Amino acid sequence: MGSIPASAAGREGAMQAAGERVSCWQCNADHSPDFFCPKCGAIQLLPERTDYFQVLGVPRRLLVDADALQRRYYELNRRLHPDLYQTGPEMARQASLHNTAAVNRAYRTLRDPTERALYWLSLHNEKLGSNNNRVPRELATLVFEVQEKLEELRAAGGTDAQRAIEGELAAARTELRQRQAALTDALQENFRRWDAASADAPTLTHELKSILSSLAYLGTLARDVERELDK
Amino acid sequence: MERIFGIDLGTTNSLIAYSDNGAPRIIPDRQTKSPLLPSVVSFPVPGEIVVGARAKELAAHHPLATIASAKRFMGLGMEHVTTEDREHYAFADGSKDVVRFRVCDREYTPPEISALILKELKRRAETDLGEEVRKVVITVPAYFNDSQRQATRDAGRLAGLEVLRLVNEPTAASLAYGLDKRNQGFIAVYDLGGGTFDISILKLHQGIFEVLATNGDTRLGGDDMDRRLAHLLLERVPSNLRGDPELVVQALAAAERAKIRLTDSQSAPLELHRGSIQVSVTITRAEFEALVADIVERTAAPCRQAMKDAGLGPGDLDEVVLVGGSTRVPLVRRRVQELFGRLPHTELNPEEVVALGAAVQAGVLSGGHRDMLLLDVVPLSLGIETVGGVTERLIERNTTIPTTVKQMFTTFVDNQTAVDFHVVQGERELVKDNRSLARFKLRGIEPLPAGMPRIEVTFMIDANGILNVTAHDDRTGREQSIDIKPSYGLTDEQIECMLEESIDFAEEDVHARLLIEARNDADGLLRGARRALAEARLDEPERSTIAAAMARLEAAVAGTDYNQIRDLNDELNQATTPLAQRIMDASIKAALERRRVDEVL
Repeated sequence: MGSIPASAAGREGAMQAAGERVSCWQCNADHSPDFFCPKCGAIQLLPERTDYFQVLGVPRRLLVDADALQRRYYELNRRLHPDLYQTGPEMARQASLHNTAAVNRAYRTLRDPTERALYWLSLHNEKLGSNNNRVPRELATLVFEVQEKLEELRAAGGTDAQRAIEGELAAARTELRQRQAALTDALQENFRRWDAASADAPTLTHELKSILSSLAYLGTLARDVERELDK
Repeated sequence: MERIFGIDLGTTNSLIAYSDNGAPRIIPDRQTKSPLLPSVVSFPVPGEIVVGARAKELAAHHPLATIASAKRFMGLGMEHVTTEDREHYAFADGSKDVVRFRVCDREYTPPEISALILKELKRRAETDLGEEVRKVVITVPAYFNDSQRQATRDAGRLAGLEVLRLVNEPTAASLAYGLDKRNQGFIAVYDLGGGTFDISILKLHQGIFEVLATNGDTRLGGDDMDRRLAHLLLERVPSNLRGDPELVVQALAAAERAKIRLTDSQSAPLELHRGSIQVSVTITRAEFEALVADIVERTAAPCRQAMKDAGLGPGDLDEVVLVGGSTRVPLVRRRVQELFGRLPHTELNPEEVVALGAAVQAGVLSGGHRDMLLLDVVPLSLGIETVGGVTERLIERNTTIPTTVKQMFTTFVDNQTAVDFHVVQGERELVKDNRSLARFKLRGIEPLPAGMPRIEVTFMIDANGILNVTAHDDRTGREQSIDIKPSYGLTDEQIECMLEESIDFAEEDVHARLLIEARNDADGLLRGARRALAEARLDEPERSTIAAAMARLEAAVAGTDYNQIRDLNDELNQATTPLAQRIMDASIKAALERRRVDEVL
């Protein structure tokens, strides 16, 4: 399992300090943070900066078993959802509301590979910076071509040339989808290497950032093409 | 444990229901036995308020003192009122923010009108069950934005109700369907009511009802079809007479009748008779369908978008469920079948299914139905205004609720002590194209060099789909005070003020009313029993049973325990039933014999 160096625990995703203790609002029992007090069973407000893997109680790994994640999500909702605490005391209602929001946010992030990877970067005190918004070199030709086609199509509105350009754009869309699929595979491969025992964090971080910015770029481009073709 | 009630506060009709040992039951009107309460409020003379079926009748003679479909205006501002709306309602034009109806010399906001409908439902349930109604779940269109939800909650408050939860109508309907079927898989709920359209895509999994995506139009429904048909009549009226409000109300009523007829018939008469005006047209179903085709078609794009957002293709759906009275229109059914490629479910009455689901959800909240759980979503993205009038999205549409997001704010000039921000809802880039929800002001910020203060604002959308905003100073950890100015809503002060003004609110004593009703019932029963004892021949055991029941009831009526009176009413009623049956039989026999004589003669 890829562990996170302590130095990388930044402000964004700071993990709770090991051995952190909290006390139960109902029975005052001292315990380590959890959804429920181990002594009296009352629902507890989870500390705000608990990381998403801990919130959902899944291993801190990038390769995620989607079915297991969803099962866990449903299980937690069955125990934490505000509907179940409607008639309870105010503290329990508040804890339920905020815990469920935390579970929802964690699930929404971890179920999606791209969101999960971005979150992983934030846990490592990294993010896709502004210099990553440059067109990735290996995509430059494709991006240039597609944007030119989009311009032509907008200019050719209503003329005979339109259909021909649409055909070319449809072909470009196919290529975009192939590239996206290849990058998704690369992302999975990167995840596998992170999860390996001997993960080389700096190299993997660099590679992950490159894959994510390429994916973001292709995503925006694909959306523009869809929008034009749907018109 | 105190019972929680489920209310469907509809554009056209409203219902109240509750869960009785797990089975949802709709409470009918005491006299008419109808489960539907028309969502119409009439003020025929100053000081008199009529709600429901009688108000609907009064509309023909008091068109401007009668308000129907107030739900169409919940949470809206005057700038959302159309010219067509002005043909059907009188508005108070001085109002700059929320919509206000003008009735005689008074003004009413849509939540106040809705509160009168809610009070009537409350009264109906209290009379039926003999207990006070305080806690409720109210359904709202899934596509209602924050202002519309707040307005609904305000209506509940104005009616003296504690609104425990707002539930989305299509989601509630799915609960009613899922209850006896234990469905698994993906379902689409297509809900076309009197004034609103919703489409929701859900995933059902072992009692969890997870909404994947929702879409819709909060100003689209059967009302629009009625208006088209009514227009057909009105255009045959000399133009100088068309503006007559009474005529418009009559045309709408005729239109609604014809529309309903066309569900089962191929043609229907469409008539308007008023003084010298005599218009009569026959409309065929094909003509009607051509007339409303574009209205029905407006539901297609939201359906496609919701399916796309849910990541599903038409082949992935397991069930399609129809909700709302307008789904009785054959064209709507055909279009739904085309859109989703499967025959929709219509087993449950489309006008009752939302109320039944609301009762199920009320049951969940009161601790029953522990095996069922709703996971709903926010229908519209939420964002704040940034430089250049651009929307910065904070929460994406179809995010499961409750959800929170945090945003850091700071100052731009030295010693600045207040920061404003503007919250909007919608999918568009520019703030002006989205719906403004509220303006917030962070006050009392410590005077520091620009950019130094760090105020963390938490935006939470709760399980009702309603936004709650809190803030704290990141540096000191102190709670930060915020002023909220809703764009199209009532402030707490305004609601308090309305509560004080409302004369018949005055914390009406439910028990006193129930006691009066029970005594009235007892009076009637006792009178009937006395007459029966005097007239009919009775054997001694029967006579003494009835006499004993009467004596007990008479004693109870002198007291104030309405539950005891209700019980003894039932007892006397039962004791006299065999006698009543015999009297009835005898009179029928007499009637039959008389007829035989008539026939002989």
